[in-house]
Parts: sequence; structure tokens; C-alpha cells
Amino acid sequence: MAKELQIVGFRLGRETFGLPISLVHEIVRPPEITNVPQAPEYVEGVMNLRGRIVPVIDLRRRFGSTGSENKRKNRVLVVDVESHAVGLVVDSASEVLKISDAQIEPPPNVFADATTNYVTGVAKYQGRLIILVDLRKIVQMGELRLPAVDA
Amino acid sequence: MSSQADERAAELRELFFQSAQELLQALNDQGLALEKNPANAAAAGEIRRVVHTLKGDAAACGMRELSELAHEVEDALTPESAADAASLPEIVLSAADMFDAMCAAYRARLDPPSGDPLRALIWKRAQKAAVSKVVGELKPSFSWTEYDQLAMGEAAGRGLRVYQIAAAIAPDLPMRTAGLELLKKVLQEAGTVLAVSPAESEWERASHVEFALGGDRDAEWLAHKCRIPGVVAQVAIEEFVPALELTEGDAVAATTATAPSAVGFQAATQNTKDAPDPTLTPIAANAGNTLRVDAERMDNLLNLVGELVIGKSMLHQTLNEFVRRFPKDPLRAKLSDAMAFQSQVLNALQRSAMKIRMVPVDQLFRRFSRLVRDVAKLGGKDVALSLSGQDTDLDKTLLDALAEPMIHLVRNAVDHGIETPAERRAAGKPEQGVIRLHACHQGNEVVIEISDDGRGIDSAAVLAKAVGHGMLPQEQASRMSEADVMGLIFEPGFSTAEQVSEISGRGIGMDIVRSVAQKLKGSVSIETQPGRGTTFQLRLPLTLAIIRALLFRVSERLYAMPLESVIEITRASEADIHHVDGHEVIQVRNEVLTLVRLHRLAPVVFDHRDGRVFVIVINSGERKFGLIVDKLVGEEELVIKPLDETIVATELVSGASILGDGMVVLILNVNEVARKFSSTRVAPATVPANKKVSSVGANA
Repeated sequence: MAKELQIVGFRLGRETFGLPISLVHEIVRPPEITNVPQAPEYVEGVMNLRGRIVPVIDLRRRFGSTGSENKRKNRVLVVDVESHAVGLVVDSASEVLKISDAQIEPPPNVFADATTNYVTGVAKYQGRLIILVDLRKIVQMGELRLPAVDA
Repeated sequence: MSSQADERAAELRELFFQSAQELLQALNDQGLALEKNPANAAAAGEIRRVVHTLKGDAAACGMRELSELAHEVEDALTPESAADAASLPEIVLSAADMFDAMCAAYRARLDPPSGDPLRALIWKRAQKAAVSKVVGELKPSFSWTEYDQLAMGEAAGRGLRVYQIAAAIAPDLPMRTAGLELLKKVLQEAGTVLAVSPAESEWERASHVEFALGGDRDAEWLAHKCRIPGVVAQVAIEEFVPALELTEGDAVAATTATAPSAVGFQAATQNTKDAPDPTLTPIAANAGNTLRVDAERMDNLLNLVGELVIGKSMLHQTLNEFVRRFPKDPLRAKLSDAMAFQSQVLNALQRSAMKIRMVPVDQLFRRFSRLVRDVAKLGGKDVALSLSGQDTDLDKTLLDALAEPMIHLVRNAVDHGIETPAERRAAGKPEQGVIRLHACHQGNEVVIEISDDGRGIDSAAVLAKAVGHGMLPQEQASRMSEADVMGLIFEPGFSTAEQVSEISGRGIGMDIVRSVAQKLKGSVSIETQPGRGTTFQLRLPLTLAIIRALLFRVSERLYAMPLESVIEITRASEADIHHVDGHEVIQVRNEVLTLVRLHRLAPVVFDHRDGRVFVIVINSGERKFGLIVDKLVGEEELVIKPLDETIVATELVSGASILGDGMVVLILNVNEVARKFSSTRVAPATVPANKKVSSVGANA
């Protein structure tokens, strides 16, 4: 029997992306976010998650799309990246999808260049395409992009 | 074997490494004390105790090589073999180094380095000792009969100084009795001989003779008189104390004066003339009442206290709202009372929790006496280290982080600051240079100063070098202020030493000093006078966890900064702001201050009702500058929480905190803000990312 994966689906613009449910701690409505000077552009700032200060990355800006018109549906996924909590701002997130191994295909060649290799696979689910992303790459690329200001 | 046993063994090892650190520190301290005063019996005793402990501990942990070497060192240190006092400190210090290297190897689970160089040193010394051994050791027993003691006590009661003199007879003396008669005669001239032991009839066989003498001469004079060449090989003199507690066989606390070839610590268990070595007391005093606690547990406690402080401000806000809504409610007063009580207790709790982490800076300072000695020796210099303010308490993490930059500063001071004895003499200074380490609290900061009385730093040489290295263009160099020129020393890759020495001078040290100071949210400054010396001053925030802060808004964003860096707050209209040399400046109380704007994040707004802005006058190390803000919010106690280093790390912000209403506020790192936003000096390497500069320029 094919293994079944539980995926949290979220939308950015018109695309649906997915993350394994084990990496997602919780989904919250966007709280007040405090900007941090000199942080990379896609870093929205920091937020207060029950007394913890958690950095927030705007995934929409990360993937080059602008925010959706309907702000009420915006959510923050609190995810776990190498035991650091990070918030990801997405247009909306609501569904948990059960996808079997067989439905997942390796990323198409168009994605294979260096800047887009955060895609780990593409799943076909009820006629939709769901892009599975590698969380670590998303956050780490940010680190690479952080310019060494004070050499 | 069971994993439990493994765990215990690992725990034991860890414990060993911890205590070994302390033992080695004690070994270094006492070795130096012994070097200063070879007759320091207390130091010698402490050294033996330390080596013995180390030997036992190492054996218990299965570190055979270390244990064996310690055993050999212990043997070499026994009073019997300690005839050659001069080389003893050297052995102790090299042993400390050797043990340290071995511990490091054990810790990394590597083969320990060979102890042979140390063994060679010990052996060489043993050879020397063997030669002098022929003379025989002088071990005065001073066991007088009751009658003798009575006579001595009576003499002391008459106001005479009573000495016990032990004289070792030269082994090749042909007519012992005659020789000793000579000595007795000398003593009779010096005072009244009260007792002699052994009796004269046994003098022919005795290795040494003891006299009790009453008189008014001092010990040095007597020792000198007794040293009759060819008759007496060694002399030991102790003052007799007619104390009531003097019972049979008690070692008498007394002053020991010895002939130069003798080792003074043989009999004396205690020195009354020299006060007990001060470096000894902390070890003894600390032993009983300290508790080793995992640092993590303490941090947890501190975090919880921090959460409570946030809770307090939440309650406070709720209370304020309650008061607004129900101004007449009698519950109001009760609530305020409860709040006041709670915050009082909370403050006390916070203070004591902070204190747990505090350690006296002495722990750090003590390490440097060894470093100064070694570096000075290598450079052929004579340098004394003077410490002050050792009691200043410091957060343990701060203390650990300071060790490295301090090492660089002290090394530099000895290596580059202090001149050679010849140069110093030529300059009319005492040959011995002095390095001074000083610590004190100033407000909420701790200040650590490292000063030397050496040649000072030549600012012209610094400038020439910076230009020569292409670190800055010539025309910029000519306009720099003295303080800015000194700042160049901290630039990466800068070194003023003409030649690279083994110890320092690769030009990376000072760079580290500044980066560590910045990491700790502090600052470093230099003050130098050519020919007179240099002082480096490190200023660091005292506690890293909770601060009083001023909250303000810039472009609608809320920021905070430590209250102690705020000097004053003033208002200014656009007309007050002048442009000088590409900087915006403002005059406040006859002082011209550089202005800094944080508005690069959004365009500056001058649209307040009266067209004026607030200027916060800030003190960052030695510099003052003005920060333009739109709105002041107030003052609050903030719990500093770290920002995620990998994603949002920025030097401009030293941390974040959560306000009572749940908002996150960023705490600005004042020193970094000043450095990045106000300066257009120095090389491209340190010019901040282009965006800021251009937007600041555009706003100007």
C-alpha cells in the first residue's frame, strides 16, 4: 500500500503550496508584526507568540507575488525549522490534504535551476497541482541573501 | 557495561575538568607568589596541596599519565628536596602549563602530551639539590624543656626579644665543639643565651644546634652574625612568642630569617610578620559555601522572572483601564495596594535572581598575572601588574566573553605599550613598567580599564599606516579627529607593531576586541598620551536581561533604548539643524552634536503641529549624538529577549521585548546606531550598506 502523507495546504496568489503537517505547529491569524530594520526584505518582522518572539517571513514576497486582496483570510503558519519557530505569512490556509506517495512527482525541469530548488515535488490532488516546498531552503536562502554588512 | 556506569564516569570526568581548572589557577597564583618571595611557606604548602589533590583526582578518573606526572612533581616539591629555591617557581609554572595541556587533551579524548620536558626540568633541579644536600637539611625542632621555656617566657616578660636560633654545622668542620663554642661566644655577645639544645657534651655528633637567646637585636642582624664561614652552613631564626597557648611540641608562629642558601619554609607553618598571602584566602573561603549549579537551570529561573515582569506590566495596564472605567469603585485602592506589594516583591526577586549569576571580576583578573609575567619575560621587560576593583560583580556570561579581548589588550600593553628597561631609563621613567587593570560600576554599566604607563600610541603613525594600507584616502585622513584616528586601530587588519612578534602584532587582536564589545552591546575607547601611556576602556551593560528603557516612535514605528544612554531630550525645528561637512548637526547647550535619523525606513516627517521634532541626546561611549524621533512614548521596564539570529539578526537592534499589551518592541543598540548612521569616515569596508547612506543623504 502506498504511504499517505498529510500535507497542510496554503495559498499564495493563485498557487497552492504544501508542507508536511509534522512541521507546522499551529496556524494563527496575523498578530501585530514589528518590523526589524536591516532585515532582508521578505522578513516581515517579529511577532509575539504567547511570550515568545518569533520571526515572521512573508512567503508571498518570498515567492515574488504581492499579497491577495482579501486580507481577512491571511494566516501565519508557525513552523519548525531546525528547532527554531518561524512564522510564515500566507494568503490563506485551511485544508489538510491526504496525498499518497504515488501522486507526488519530482519537480519539473523548469524548476531545476538554483534559485527555485526549494521545490521538493509536485503533487496532483483532485485535479489541482500542489507545490511541496522544502522549508529549510526557504529560510536558509534568506540567510545566504543577508549581505555581510560589516566585513 | 551498563550505560548508567558510563554516564557516571562521564559525569566524574566533567567534575574533574571543572575542579582541575580551579586547581591550575591556584597553581599559577601560588607559583607567582613563590617567585616573588621564595620564602613564602604558605604558597609552597598550597602548591603541594594542589598538586596532591590533582594527582588523586586524576588517578580516580583513570588519567594515568597526568596522575603519574603529578606524583613526580609532588616528589620534587617536598621540603626535603627543595634545597634550590630559585628554580621552584619555574617548575610549578611549567607544571601548571603541562597539566593544563594534558587536561585539554583528555577532554578532547586525545593522547596526552608527553611530560618529558617537565621531567627534565625536575631532574635538572634534583641534580642541583643533590649537590647542596651534602650540607644537610636544617630542621629546627625547638623542643625546649619546661625549665627552658620558663626562662624564655620570663625573659620575654622583661621586654627582651627572645629568638630561637638553629644553626646547621658545616659537615666538613673538623673540631665541632670548638667551632660551636665560637658561635656560642658570638651569641653571648649579642645577648643572653637562655637555653642550648642539645647539651654541649653531644655537640660532636649533632648535625645542628639550637639556642634560645634573649636580647634587643633583630633577627636579620643575628642571622648575619651567626653565619660564621666554615662553621655554620645554615641559620634559621624564629622569634619566640611567649603565648599562653604554647603547649608541648607546638610549632611556634614566628618569623623566619634564613641564610641565602637555605629554604625558608622548612619549619615555619605560618608567617606572622608577612600577613598571610591574600591570594590564598579566596580559595579557602570559597570552599565551604559554594554550590555548583548548571548554568541552564539558572537561565530558566531568570527567564521565568522575566515573564513575571511582563505579567506585571500587563496587570498594570489592566488596572489603569479599570481605573478609567470605574473611577469610583472602592476595589480600585485594594487592587493598587496589591499591585504595589507584588511589584515590590518582584523587584527583590529579580535582583536576587540576577545576583546568582554575578561573579567578582577578580576571577578574570587573576588570570593575567601569569600572562603579564610570561609576555614580559619573552620581551625582556620588567612589568608589574596592579589590580583594583576586583570585587566588582559581573554577569558570568559577560565575564567569560571578556576573557579573550582582555587577553589581547593586556598582551598588547606589555608587548607594545611598555618599553624596554633601557628605553624607560632613557625616558626618565622607572625601569619597571606598570599595567593596571581596573573595574568599577558606573550606573548600569560596568567599566573595565586596561592601562599601561608605556610609550603611548602615536596617532601620526596610525594615520600613516592606515593611508599606507589603503584603508582610507589621504584627504580624508587629514580631516579626522583624534578619536576617529584611534578608532582605526580597531579596524580589521590594522597593526601598529613594526614587526610581527610571537605574541601579538598580527593586527587581528584589536579587531576582536571591538567585535566582542559590540556583541555584548558595549563599547571600547582609547585614551593615549605619547610617552605617558595608554588606557583602553571597555564599557558594557551590567545585566543583559532587564533594563529601564525609553520608548519612542520613528515613522510610526515603536523603538526602545536603554535609559542610561539618554542624556537629555530636547526639541528642535528645522531651522535649528545645520549642515556641516555632509553631516547634520545641532547645537545643544554650547555643544555641537551630530544628528542621526532612523527615518531611512520611511521618509522623515516634519509635520508635527509646531513643525518641531524631538532630539534625544545620546551618550555612546565617548561620543555624544542626537537622535531625531517623532514622538516620545514613555519609560518602561523591559525584559530583553533575543532575536532569532539566523533570520532577523541585525546589529542595529540589541534585542526585543514584549510590552504589556502584547506588542513587540525593538531595543536599539545605541553604539551601533551611532557608528552606522553618523559616520562617513573610514574605508569602504565599514561603510554600511549603500541603501542607508543614500537615503540619509537624500533626507539631509
